[in-house]
Order: sequence, then C-alpha cells, then structure tokens
Amino acid sequence: MTDAQRSRSRQVSRRKFLQGIGIGSTTLLLAACPAPAPADGGASGSAAPAAEEIELDFFAWGDASDIPAWEELATTYGEQNPNVTVKPSISGTGVDYYTKLQTSFAGGVVPEIASFQGWEWQPFSDAGLLAPIDAYIERDNFNGPYPDGVDSIEFSTRRDGSRYLIPLQSGVMVMFYAKNAFDEAGVAYPTDDWTFDDFVSIAEQLTSTDGSSKMYGYQANGSYARDIHWIRATGVQEFDMLVDPRTAMFDQPEIIDILQLVAQDFMYSLGISPTPADLEGGTNTIDTGNAAMKYEGPWFFPRLNSPELREEGKQIEFDVVMMPQMADESRPHRGWAEGVCVPKSDLVDAAWDFVHYMGGEDGQKIYSTITGRIPNTSDLVENFWGPTIEERFGVSNAAAFSNAFLRSEVDVIGGVSRGQIWSEVAKPVGWDPMLANSAAAADVIPAVNEGVQGLLDAHWAKQG
Amino acid sequence: MAVTSAPAGRRRISKRQLRDWIAGYLFASPFIIGFSVFIAFPMLYSVYLIFVEWDLLSPPSFVGFANLARMFKDPKVNLSLYNSAFYTIFAVPIQLTISFSLALALTQRIRFRDFYRAGFYMPIIVPLVASAVVWQRVLHPEFGILNEALGWFGFEPRMWLFEPQLTKPAFIFMSFWMIGRQMVIFIAGLGNIPDSLKEAASLDGAGAFGQLRYVILPLMTPLIFYNSVIAIINSFQTFVPAMIMTEGGPQDATLFVVLNIYRNAFQYFNMGYASALAWELFVIVVGFTLVQFYLSNRWVYYEEGD
Repeated sequence: MTDAQRSRSRQVSRRKFLQGIGIGSTTLLLAACPAPAPADGGASGSAAPAAEEIELDFFAWGDASDIPAWEELATTYGEQNPNVTVKPSISGTGVDYYTKLQTSFAGGVVPEIASFQGWEWQPFSDAGLLAPIDAYIERDNFNGPYPDGVDSIEFSTRRDGSRYLIPLQSGVMVMFYAKNAFDEAGVAYPTDDWTFDDFVSIAEQLTSTDGSSKMYGYQANGSYARDIHWIRATGVQEFDMLVDPRTAMFDQPEIIDILQLVAQDFMYSLGISPTPADLEGGTNTIDTGNAAMKYEGPWFFPRLNSPELREEGKQIEFDVVMMPQMADESRPHRGWAEGVCVPKSDLVDAAWDFVHYMGGEDGQKIYSTITGRIPNTSDLVENFWGPTIEERFGVSNAAAFSNAFLRSEVDVIGGVSRGQIWSEVAKPVGWDPMLANSAAAADVIPAVNEGVQGLLDAHWAKQG
Repeated sequence: MAVTSAPAGRRRISKRQLRDWIAGYLFASPFIIGFSVFIAFPMLYSVYLIFVEWDLLSPPSFVGFANLARMFKDPKVNLSLYNSAFYTIFAVPIQLTISFSLALALTQRIRFRDFYRAGFYMPIIVPLVASAVVWQRVLHPEFGILNEALGWFGFEPRMWLFEPQLTKPAFIFMSFWMIGRQMVIFIAGLGNIPDSLKEAASLDGAGAFGQLRYVILPLMTPLIFYNSVIAIINSFQTFVPAMIMTEGGPQDATLFVVLNIYRNAFQYFNMGYASALAWELFVIVVGFTLVQFYLSNRWVYYEEGD
C-alpha cells in the first residue's frame, strides 16, 4: 500500500462525516432534554446530612433592584454554609415571571425556592405544590414577620389555615412628592393628616401646563390595581370578600364617584394629571420632573434619588406622606407581603434554612439595604430601615409607611386573578374609555361589574 | 429448473441498501427528532388539550366539548377574529402593492440602487420588539414623527395608539415597515423576466404601462400569489406589536387572535381553551390558504415547460 493510499484510508469520508454529525446532533438533542423531576416530597422531607453537598435552585423575581440582592444573599449564605450552593435563576417580573414559573412546574422542573407576591401563590398551594411552613415557624420561633392584627399579612401569607409565604418585604404604597415642585410653587409640603380636599387643592396649585415645561400636580396611575386605594379609602370595597370573592360590587355610588374623579376628571376637567397619551414613552412623569406627586412604593426610591443619581446630579429630591384622609377614617392603604415560598421537594429543610436566613435579621438588612424595600418586622423598620432610607434616598418620613402598613389590606385574592379582571373586563370596558374621556364612570362601571361578576360566576361554576 | 422468487412487495433488502437507509435516516435524524419533539408532538398534544381543562398546576381534567362550546359563545373570540381579519384585509393588499412598486423601482437603473435595496430590507433584521418600541415613538401623540409630519400639512395631531378607531390603521401603517422580504422576492422575479418579451411587446406598440400590464404582471403572478399566501398567514399571526405597544387596547381594538390565545394560555392558564382557540386559528388559516390555492387557477400564470 502506498503512502497516498494509506493516507486516503485514514481520511474520514463525507458519508462518515455527515453520519457523525447526525449522531452527534441527535445525542445533543436528547441530552438537552431535562432530567425527570425528583419525586414529590412532603413538607417534612428529610434534611440532607450537614456535610452533604446541596444545591438549591432559587426561582427569583428579576426586578433590577432585586438581582444584586439575591446574588449577595446567596453568596453570604454560602459562606456560612459551605456545603450549600444557592443558585438564583433570575426569571423576569410581572406576568412573565409567573408564566415561566408555572410552565416550569408543568415541565416537572420544580425549584426548591420561588419568589411570590402575596396574591399569586394561592393557586400553587391549592394544587398541593407548596410546603406549609407552620412547623418551621414554630420550631425556629420565626414570628416577627407575622404580626397579629395586620390583615394584609394574614391574607397574603396564610391559606386554609396554613402558612405558605415567608415575607421578605412588606408592601405598602403611599404618596411620593417632589420637593422642588412644591418649593417653586411656594406650596407647603403635605403632612400625614391631610385630607382628600387638601390633596386636590394642592395638586391644582402645583399644576402648570401652559408653558414649554409642564408640571402636573399628580401623576395618576390609570389602572384598577393602583386605583384600589382610592376605592377602599371611600369606605366601601368592590367585592363582597377580599379573599375568594363571590360577588362583584363595583357599581356602588362611592366607587363610581371616586373613579370618575381619579380616572377621568383629574386628567380632563381638573387637568391636574397627565393623560395616558401624555405619559406615553415615559414622558411627563415624576421621574422626568414633570409631576409633583405620585402614588408609589419603596421600590420606586432608586428611580428618584440614590447615591449614584446624586453623584451624577440627576436626583429628584422627594419625600413621602400617607395617602390623604377620605371617608374611611381608619385610613386603609393597599398592602401585602412579598417573599418566597418553598415548593414541595426532597430539600424542604435545606430550602427553609436559606429562606429563614433571608427573612431573618441579617438577610433582611442585606436585602433592604440593596433594594430599599421595607423589611418584614416593625423593629427593623424602625431601627434599621428608617435611618437607611434617609441616608440613601433622602426619605425622612419612614413613619408614613409604618403607619400605612398597620391598616393595610390586600387587593383581591382568589380563583379569578386581579390580572384577569383587569385584562378581560376592567381595562377594555371601564378604564380605557374613562381614561380616553370617551365615557363617564357612571356609563361604564355597571358594565365592569357585570363582566367581573361573569368571571366570578364562571370560576365558581367550575369549582362545582 | 425450479426458480423461486420473493413475492411481490417483499423484496429482499441488501445489506448495502440497509446501510444506505440507516445512513439516510441518521443524516435526517436531527430534523426528524426536532420536528417530532418540538412541533408534531406539541401539536398532537394540543388536540388532546382541547378536551381538557388544565392550569399547568393540577392534572388535566376531561371536559368533553366544553372548550369548543365556550369558543363559539365567547365575544372576545369574535372580536379578536374581527380585529385580525380587518388587519389582514387592509394590510396585505397594500403591503403587496407597495412592495411590488418598490421592486419595480429598484430594478431600474438608478443611482444607489443597492443602497436603497439594503435600506428597505433592513427592518426585516430588526427584532420585532425593538421595532415595536421604535414605532411607539413614531406614533407618540406629542413627540412622534408621524404627527410632526402630518402637522406640516395642517393636520391636527392624533392619538394613534389611544383612540380605538385609529389603532388598527396605525398598526396597518406600521406593517409597511416590514415589506422588505416581499420586495426582495419580487426583485428576484422581475430579474428573471426575459428582455426579449418586453422588447417584443415594445415592438407591438406597448409602452411602459402596456409592458407592465401585459408582460410583467402576468409573469409575476406566481410570486404575487406566493407573497399573498405568506402575508395572509403572517397577518393572522400578528402578536408582538399588540403585546408591546397596546396590550390589546384601547378597548380591545388590537386584541388579535394570537394575543387572545396567549392571554388564555399564559396569563389565565386555561391551556385547554387556549388550545381550542389555537386550532380554530389553524383551521381558519388553512381554509384561507386552500381558498387562495383554488382561486389561483383563475389568475396565476405558470409558464409551461417544453
């Protein structure tokens, strides 16, 4: 055999080459399929021995301010527990987050820990996918985040007698105001005892939209979720019950009147709020310096003022105040808990240990410092969070959040999600025409009520 | 001498043939597996889902024809079909007219011809989400370039994405941004028309319009047909702009079929009902396509082979 022949015999033929690619690609495709999920474990799944290497998958809420906090918490916990690796999977926010989470469960890829807002985990517990944590709370005396008498905490952490959510933050929204708008108009800053009439009057004094630089008194939010505060502050609520409601009650005169004001008159007849068209593309907002007040939560701090923004000279000096006093003298504010749940798996004990760390004092200090969010105990709010947000964000009235939270209540929790109520009925039938000034609240809210009742009836009919 | 032969249809396969078959299937296996796992199986599974109720969390429960019955009573279904049909009926013919006209212009000897071709094709490679954000700015009521341009001619600024009667026309206008693919196909077709035919028409007295009417258009009908089939299918699948720019609003004016399917599947987690809606769309699109193929016999001209 000549050298050339030997060389040819060693060469890979085109057929063999293509065949190899075929086999390789097929193997890769099969390898890409996820491994089957571990067998469904109970809430008391046995803990792995301390020295055993444990990997916890944390399906994490992906808000920009949360991401560094998750990474820091995973790192610090890993330093204290070298045999445990926590892997935060940053998974988007809002509807996208829950879509990914639910499809992940359906695909059998179940994380050991998952972020949840206080009104979103209930379908998962109803389906038996989450581990109840009452026994762990009792064992570790972890009662701080569950104060007695706060409805919003109770409703957003417990269902059917069992606790599921570990709060990592208390959610409550108050009124933000940009100080320079008040200073320039010579109007005194609002105080926690202000009334609704004061609020409207101040917003009118602050509004100046004639010149090239516009200033609106109040940046209305223009959605059912954000208008829930105004509804409840009238002393009525839009459902018979806030958890698992059966009857829609939007068509009460108090609700129609307040929605007429906040979802239409503020923009068109009073002119104190930018319309949705004015807000399109992020213009005419409090963060662009074109609105004086906005109803928001602590996650909004970094958008207005932070050490980084101050360094660039782009900060908007602001402070906060409780929502104005209305007909309900108890001054309800929207509130809820947000945090994490522990899905059933073989690693519930290990997962609890990590979430206990995140929800404990050390973890809360890290999370709250990085994100600005309200910690889960009143002690931390008073002694740690207040001074921290004053230093980082220039907020001096942290008490507004604490007081608002004491009388806070959830939006609505149940089989028909708030998102579905909004997309299916409230937005197209009610808020869109009101916000476009094409129909008054009295014309559309009865239809909203009818549509929402239809959703509730369909839901309960399915439940048998 | 007795001769035995294999019965018809049971011909012996030689080792070499077997090796060839195995090799062939191995070559095709990435596609076969990918198609089976990611397309065929989900499609078949979604047929099963039509008859169940499933929220992805609890096991599916059989509901018979309830999802189909609901589909025929649901006003959102009719509305989304109307929105998609409206969009398709107006967008597709105008897209084809503009892309064909552009192709005609860009097959002439003009300066910077390649630059123009690349420019009109460029939007195709821009991700849809980015396009949607850009168009949000273009249609902005206060700072948008469209209102600015209309203002030069004395038109009042309009709130394109906030008035229900304007939103679909705005989306149709926006769809012209994406005609580059059709244009390129037309340009390729126009380049294949023999000059001899045009010269012959010219000798017979046909001017530019006559050549277009009697030579170019008939020879281009296969490509016009192809582009119209694809454009109608794409139009019925419009989703991203409505999702990003208007969330189906205002007042459901841009609630297109696919957005309605998406919401039911991934916001309300009614996978069974969403599957029924998806198959309804499939049947409608296939129906339209078949009708187009049937009608094509009347107007599409295919050159006969020798």
